[in-house]
Amino acid sequence: MLVSRRLLVTVIAWAIAAPVARASAQAATATLSADVSTIAKLTVSTASASFPDADPDAVPQIPTSGGPVLITAKSRGQPGMQVVLTVQAADDLRSGVNVISASHITWTATGAGFVAGTLSTQSPVTIATWTGSGVRSGSQQLYLRNLWTHPTGTYTVSLLYTLSAP
Amino acid sequence: MVAVWLAAHNTLTFMERVMTKAVWSGVLTAAAVVLFSSPASAQVTAGATVTVSATVSAKAKLTVGSASVTFNDADPDVTPLLTATGAVSLDVKARTGSASNVTLTVQADGPLTNTASDTIPISNLTWTATGTNFVAGTMGATASSLGSWTGGGNYAGSHTYRLVNSWTYTTGTYTAIITYTLTAP
Repeated sequence: MLVSRRLLVTVIAWAIAAPVARASAQAATATLSADVSTIAKLTVSTASASFPDADPDAVPQIPTSGGPVLITAKSRGQPGMQVVLTVQAADDLRSGVNVISASHITWTATGAGFVAGTLSTQSPVTIATWTGSGVRSGSQQLYLRNLWTHPTGTYTVSLLYTLSAP
Repeated sequence: MVAVWLAAHNTLTFMERVMTKAVWSGVLTAAAVVLFSSPASAQVTAGATVTVSATVSAKAKLTVGSASVTFNDADPDVTPLLTATGAVSLDVKARTGSASNVTLTVQADGPLTNTASDTIPISNLTWTATGTNFVAGTMGATASSLGSWTGGGNYAGSHTYRLVNSWTYTTGTYTAIITYTLTAP
């Protein structure tokens, strides 16, 4: 009887003291977060464009030499947001004291969302609109109205392109 | 002995299940908090500038409506001044500086001359004119003004030649070459 009790105690003691041989784990939590912000990026293929001289009777609308301006607009924002690309002339075309109205510059456009238009110094003019995030590409061919009444000279003007993503 | 062993074994198995459940709960909890957050943001813009240039050079283009002018014969007493059979239309296009002068002139190569080398003074040939800034005048062997303008543009008009009809003319068919010159500096 004494031997049996000892064995029982030993077994019980062993059962209590013996470590769990299999899976031992602790639970823990980790919080991860990633910020996705609104971003807008605009790329145009050239920093300059030029209209060559031409006979107004033969070429009433002069296209820029070198072809159209290639435009890539990248934007990221809220679903359903309206993305807008505009252009505005910083001034009329000037050569010394001589002036050619910026409205004599027009354009045609290709690419989804792109539209034709007439340049203005008063307010930005829409070149393209899209809905939601994405990468959009298109082209804009500029034209200068060619008149006999334009005084001679070399004229310049800056065109300011703006891509807006709310 | 067997009962004890079984009791111990069952206890271990139960504890193992509890711990495993705890581990997976922790994993799921960790997974549940792996999130993408999209905070509210203000409007952003991106810009680009293209410099555009345009070259506008001087140009001059003249269109004369007729390559020949004819005077029919007439009695000098009845028609002392012959009028050419039709007016000559003129279309002037010029591009120049805004303050530059555009001029149109005419000039004869010499007197009116027939095949026998008889002549009629070229100054006997005159003209009248219509259209903005076109003027009447008398033909000569040097340039005579037919029209002038300030700055570029498109100017249209016409002029009609007149020839003095004199009894002193020798008979024959007389000709002269008239040269028109448009200048846009």
